[in-house]
Amino acid sequence: MEWIVWFDQLGKEQVSLVGGKNASLGELMRAGIPVPPGFALTTHAYRRFLQEAGIEEKIRDLLNRMDPEAPASIEEASQKIRGLMERASISMEVEDDIGEAYRRLSRMCQVPALPVAVRSSATAEDLSEASFAGQQDTFLWIRGMDELLSHIKRCWSSLFSARAIGYRARMGFPHEGISISVGIQKMVNSWNAGVMFTLDPATGDPSRIVIDANWGFGESVVSGECTPDQFVVDKVTMQIVARTISRKHCYFTTDPETQSVLKVPIPEERQENQCMLDEDVVNLARIGRAVEAHYGRPMDIEWAIDKDLMAPGNVLILQSRPETVWSQRKTGPLLGKKSGFDLLMERAMKPFRVQD
Amino acid sequence: MTRKGFPRPSEMEYPPELQGWEEMYPPYYLFSPERAQWEDRQFWYHDKIHAPDPMYPWDLIFHEAWQISLSQYNTRVFCIPPAQGVAQRMVGCYMFICAVEPPPPELIQKKAELFQKRVFYVFEHFDELYEEWLKKFRALGNSVEELVIPKELPGFEPDGVVFPAPRGYFTSFEIMDAYDRLVNSVIKGWQYHFEYLNLSYLGYLMFADTCRKLFPGISESTIGKLVAGAVVTMYRPEEELCKLARLASTMPSVKKVLGSEDPPAAKIQALSQSMEGREWLRHLEEVKRPWFYASCGSGWFHYEGSWINRMEVPFGYLKSYVERLDKGERIERYLEDIEKERERMAQEYRNLISNEDDRKAFEDAYRTCRTIYRYAEDHLFWVEHWFHTIVFEKMWDLAALLKRYHMLEDSDDLFLFNRFEVPMILEDMVTAYALGEGVPARASFWKEKASKRRAILKAARNWSPPPALGTVPEEIAEPFTVMLWGVTSEKVDEWLKAGTISPEEVTEVKGFASSAGMVEGKARVIKLLEEITSLEPGEILVCPTTNPSWAPVFTKIKAVVTDIGGLTSHAAIVCREYGLPAVTGVGIATGVIRTGDLIRVNGDKGVVSLLERA
Repeated sequence: MEWIVWFDQLGKEQVSLVGGKNASLGELMRAGIPVPPGFALTTHAYRRFLQEAGIEEKIRDLLNRMDPEAPASIEEASQKIRGLMERASISMEVEDDIGEAYRRLSRMCQVPALPVAVRSSATAEDLSEASFAGQQDTFLWIRGMDELLSHIKRCWSSLFSARAIGYRARMGFPHEGISISVGIQKMVNSWNAGVMFTLDPATGDPSRIVIDANWGFGESVVSGECTPDQFVVDKVTMQIVARTISRKHCYFTTDPETQSVLKVPIPEERQENQCMLDEDVVNLARIGRAVEAHYGRPMDIEWAIDKDLMAPGNVLILQSRPETVWSQRKTGPLLGKKSGFDLLMERAMKPFRVQD
Repeated sequence: MTRKGFPRPSEMEYPPELQGWEEMYPPYYLFSPERAQWEDRQFWYHDKIHAPDPMYPWDLIFHEAWQISLSQYNTRVFCIPPAQGVAQRMVGCYMFICAVEPPPPELIQKKAELFQKRVFYVFEHFDELYEEWLKKFRALGNSVEELVIPKELPGFEPDGVVFPAPRGYFTSFEIMDAYDRLVNSVIKGWQYHFEYLNLSYLGYLMFADTCRKLFPGISESTIGKLVAGAVVTMYRPEEELCKLARLASTMPSVKKVLGSEDPPAAKIQALSQSMEGREWLRHLEEVKRPWFYASCGSGWFHYEGSWINRMEVPFGYLKSYVERLDKGERIERYLEDIEKERERMAQEYRNLISNEDDRKAFEDAYRTCRTIYRYAEDHLFWVEHWFHTIVFEKMWDLAALLKRYHMLEDSDDLFLFNRFEVPMILEDMVTAYALGEGVPARASFWKEKASKRRAILKAARNWSPPPALGTVPEEIAEPFTVMLWGVTSEKVDEWLKAGTISPEEVTEVKGFASSAGMVEGKARVIKLLEEITSLEPGEILVCPTTNPSWAPVFTKIKAVVTDIGGLTSHAAIVCREYGLPAVTGVGIATGVIRTGDLIRVNGDKGVVSLLERA
């Protein structure tokens, strides 16, 4: 049985094995879009866990005794089931494989007890992800085997959150036979981060990629706390065609111990330095182009450059969503049905403004 | 409504050292009280692209010719509806130009009809038309080359022109006639020069407009790259040198001679001693006409010289090409790669257009522009290089004759006289000759005039005219003014600022963003090609202009800044090929930047920053 599959081995055909979230990470990697490295714990591992722990019967009983109309009853069943699961042990062979994969990932990043994100990845394609995976199913900055194993179990048990149980009951889906996968992914330790649009958000120009960047985590850029450096890359020539270096007074970093976000002031003399290397800008833009091609539309992308990884594999895509402002604008043709001669005549008739 | 203010032409005042400058140029080149109302209403600016320095009176001939020719294609021939011509005036030896205000509205519609009829025809038939053009232009150049300028005034006309019947006209007339034909040919050649140029520029502007509507942020250098052809006549001289170098590399004895430090004449002498050498020289002779008729500069000025009369230039390149071939390097440009890259880019832009109608319009705009644009690239070699080389060769022959008979102190004094004055000097000389032995001409009159003018030009070099005069218009329709001289609202603002600071205070100059990228480095200012040997690897070349004569330099440098030339100038094209940043058409770069200055070239924005003065 396969307990572990690395992200770069995954694709959409494995949704039932590793869930939608993990499978889509694999799809991105296949399309040449680097994401933080990691691996998926398959649904087999989950099933094996239930079998070995011998808790399947108990769970069934608890669910049967629950009143699906009464929220308090659902809540009680949920707590008991999750408690059962989180106290149970993971089978030795699965634990061994997880340990081996985790150590390999740590070695790869040259960070002992690598901080990772642990996320549930639902497999039920007919159910919206939202009904399974909420914030509570993503655990950040997990370090060390003990922590990792306990959070894997918490992800598994999230199948039986009150919300998930209630949802299935309401929709008439059976509780049996459902399964879940877990993704274990390197926490990004960003040197630079920011956002990237695969069109110019100011003009809608589809031939330009616009990158906002600062040192540290992307929060300083996303929140608007700090004016980022801006780079404009021509999508066709892949040359940097414009750059605005701003005065950046701070950056954000995360304290791995407390998991809290720290705002760090930037010394005066460094504030107006370009925060990012030109080659990273171009490398990132290339990835942006691949993301756009992958989704077939202009995208709004969160990215980071990871300190722990080697260039050029250190430029990572964290999240991408379709660009909405220009894509939703109802644009007719910009030129319309015109021949070269029509356009020539237009040009010849129209003087250029010299004074505004 | 004017909100930007420049001095009025009628109020211009000149420093006393320039006294007498007016008489160097034709009278209609001067601002004049009887035209003040019209002149004050127009917008005049210094043509730093073609005439950055004070003008030698004779060299003005090409400008005289283009003023007529460029303008008439806009106004009377192809009738670009809202555009009129480009007028010229001299301002203390500096040439100012102006896009004349638009015609009355009722004329625009009439012109539009003619434009449609005539211009579309040209685009449809361009390939045949260009062939015809080249044929007639080469015939014109050949006829100038055939003009005979006597080397001396013979003591007695030879028997050959008396028997069997007297020819009826003799050396005196031959000299005056040759000059008149030369001048008329220059004017005619420039009539031909603009035959398709206005339309090429208009086609380019149309395509640039189309690109900007679809891709508002597209850079000028990218549009240039999409439009520029790889196979351009202007590169032929360099290509012929590559072929000669390849041939030499198969001939050990030739290779040895070409690799030596000897002057060109000694090399040719040495080559003529061996079979192999003579074989190689035969190839050289075959390609010299026309491909060595390449100016060492822009082709606009008598002092620039051409390969044919500065053979140390092509021989210098041959030496470096032979050495590079020896090291196993490739010396030719990667033509297929350039074509492929251009096609890839065009394809990608097409794919970025989501609307079907837009995509079709883009494709047709691109095709239309490309149909004719090669003219903008190809005419340059034939007119400014080949034809001007021939013209200047004849002028130098005349100058030598005048010097020989003591009408001039130095040969190059001839260019201190305008084209209407030269016939007087010639006539003065041949009259005295015809009158017989011991008859004086007014040689000292001409010599004094020349020396006075030399002093005026020198004074003019130390004086800076205001960047512009007259009334800023709200709109400009004239294609060259927009594309070549780049008159935009930013440029006007810059001129307003420039009037108030001295060259030492300049920290930034602007030009065309001709090739993307940004680098910093030490500047090397090179005004004449002869100085090129001083260039150190890794420097930034700052020069008036480049042409294929400068080609081998591009592998040594970090970036290029030129005074003359737009997005499709030689420097722009070559820099894009080599991936070097370039800012072209700065106008004052060689005046403001000095060798050793630390500068930053921003080829994305067309800005050169002076970071640290040497």
